Amino acid sequence: MKNCEYADQIDEYLLNKLKGEPREKFEEHYFNCPSCFRKMEERDALISTIKSRGAWIFKEPASGQREWVPAWKRALSSFTPRQWATVGVAAAALLVVVFGVLPQLRDSSPQFVLSETEVARGQALTLMSPIIDVRSVPTFFEWKPLSQEAEYKISLYNGGLLWSAVTKDSRIVIPEETRQLMQPGQRFAWQVKAFSSSGTLIAVSSKVQFQVEPAE
Amino acid sequence: MNFYPSHPGHPPSGGGFSPNTTLVKDLAALYNICVENRPPQIDLNEVVVKYRPVVSFKVKKSLGAQTPDWEDVVNEVIMQVIEKVKKGEFRGDSSIGTYIYTITSRRIVDHIRQKTKVLRSVPEPAPLPDPCENAENRERARILAEAVQRLKPRFKEVLNLYYYQELTRDEVAERLGISPRRVSERLNYAQRLLRKIIKP
Repeated sequence: MKNCEYADQIDEYLLNKLKGEPREKFEEHYFNCPSCFRKMEERDALISTIKSRGAWIFKEPASGQREWVPAWKRALSSFTPRQWATVGVAAAALLVVVFGVLPQLRDSSPQFVLSETEVARGQALTLMSPIIDVRSVPTFFEWKPLSQEAEYKISLYNGGLLWSAVTKDSRIVIPEETRQLMQPGQRFAWQVKAFSSSGTLIAVSSKVQFQVEPAE
Repeated sequence: MNFYPSHPGHPPSGGGFSPNTTLVKDLAALYNICVENRPPQIDLNEVVVKYRPVVSFKVKKSLGAQTPDWEDVVNEVIMQVIEKVKKGEFRGDSSIGTYIYTITSRRIVDHIRQKTKVLRSVPEPAPLPDPCENAENRERARILAEAVQRLKPRFKEVLNLYYYQELTRDEVAERLGISPRRVSERLNYAQRLLRKIIKP
């Protein structure tokens, strides 16, 4: 069925973007075109619903209708084919770097960017727990200890710095008052820096993100 | 030419009756003019059934669906159309749709002018919404909202950006990293999906 030439103006009219003479011409048209009028009624119902309930439709999941979906799954489901292609190319490049280039740089120590002007070279510091999304607020943070004696400074972020502490162990219990600040559904990041006895920075971990699953 | 046959009770006219051919021609010409200028035949019932929803849509859009007077204005427009057509005031110079549109637009302007005068003198009474209409509309909106929410993310996001946030097609395309044509395709497809969900 051939589309009416005025059909493209339906959205503009309903969103009040059509003004003056074009608006009058369109209004006169739908008095004479049953097809456009039907389409317009249908579109008006949709737009009115979206305008009045958009906050619920687009920002909050319906209770009991959707399960909580991990962030990585949500991100992946919204990928376009072009984005998938980009991911594929990036993954291939990464493999080339990891297996082709990095072995040649074995003797170089890791480099960690601490700020725009500060870069630290040192040993790798591996974080162990938590490193993925968790079902409940964690009670401790744990990392792989360095071969040498060191003092570790742990920092927890929720946008800004939420909590920080120092320990000589490779594990630290999270204080209760800090755990109460960690609400389900929120996203956090944590990082550990290791210092020698003289106070020199010797290792920095990556900043690892995790999310506490929302309460059901 | 003898138009009138002889009758036994009538004495035969000697030379036969010869009507004034000029008069006949004038009468025929007048008849043609009347036929051509005769108002078009309109089925009023069909007009009312067909155009009431269209008039209602225009009036609600102009005055606001929450205005309690909108139904009165629609009824006044329909009555005016019926009256004018019965009086033969619709000559067929335009389509019936355009004729009704003109009457509707003028009535809306008159109504707004009247309301402005009234509001200057007396306070406006609180509107009493029709509970049935509101309940029906609410149910329809609820079903549609749930249907939209069940759509796949790539269709929801175009509905969100285009209708809820009112970005242009080009802006939506740029935000999502797709072409404007793809935006249109997703909008159309989303609407077809919703139609299937609501009217299976």
